[in-house]
Amino acid sequence: MDWLEQELKNALSRKEPLEGFDERVAAAARRPRVVAMPARRWLAAAAAVIVLVGAGEGYRWHRGEVAKQQVMLAMRITGEKLSFVQARIAGEGQ
Amino acid sequence: MTGAGSAVQHAWDFAGLVREHRSMVFSVAYHFLHDPDQAEEVAQDVFLSLHRNLGSVESPAHAVHWLRKVAVQRSIDAARRRQRRPQVALEDVAEPSTRPAPGDALLSELLRKLIATLPEGPRMAMVLRYQEDLDPAEIAEVMGIPLGTVKSHIQRSLALLREKLARRGVGER
Repeated sequence: MDWLEQELKNALSRKEPLEGFDERVAAAARRPRVVAMPARRWLAAAAAVIVLVGAGEGYRWHRGEVAKQQVMLAMRITGEKLSFVQARIAGEGQ
Repeated sequence: MTGAGSAVQHAWDFAGLVREHRSMVFSVAYHFLHDPDQAEEVAQDVFLSLHRNLGSVESPAHAVHWLRKVAVQRSIDAARRRQRRPQVALEDVAEPSTRPAPGDALLSELLRKLIATLPEGPRMAMVLRYQEDLDPAEIAEVMGIPLGTVKSHIQRSLALLREKLARRGVGER
């Protein structure tokens, strides 16, 4: 071991923490533990929310499309009926 | 050991383990982080983790190994969390007004500051080598890195420190 390594051993010798460390650790150990949700669980929960919101929006869009098609069909039938009635009125008038 | 709760019945009860190993755990964090408040936080966290896992402690030697390994990991985690905050940069290590001589407290402080400027891996390897007196194979096991990497970390760090000390006029006795 050369002079620098000896100096490093001196410089990095063990130190005691501040007075009362044992009591602070004991007090912390007695406190009830609050379990924080790990990052992975947060990500999984966020992904689930995104999927649910996305699925909800998709379903709403699908329902809108169906309603739109039904309205278009109703209008087409109504138009056809009106044309038919109009043709009948015109035929009877002649 | 017969079960999870039986550790408290042994000589290596929790309070005894804290008393016996607090300087080791605190010093690993302190020399790595160069911040006494953060080192205290890390040391407390390590012992709280031990408290939760006391049932898995098989022997006093196992407790030392466990504490050292967790202290290393928690210190590295703490350093990564504070990466956005300012740390000790080489330019912050002021030139000493008087030239420190080998063996004096001024040189020890200068060395601690220079070590704080080393990158994460080499810094922890140096702390474990010179604070804990571990050999490179033991350091590799504790840090979970290859033996060759540990040897290279120590050799390069020593060379860098010699160079920095030489620039400050500190050399061989």
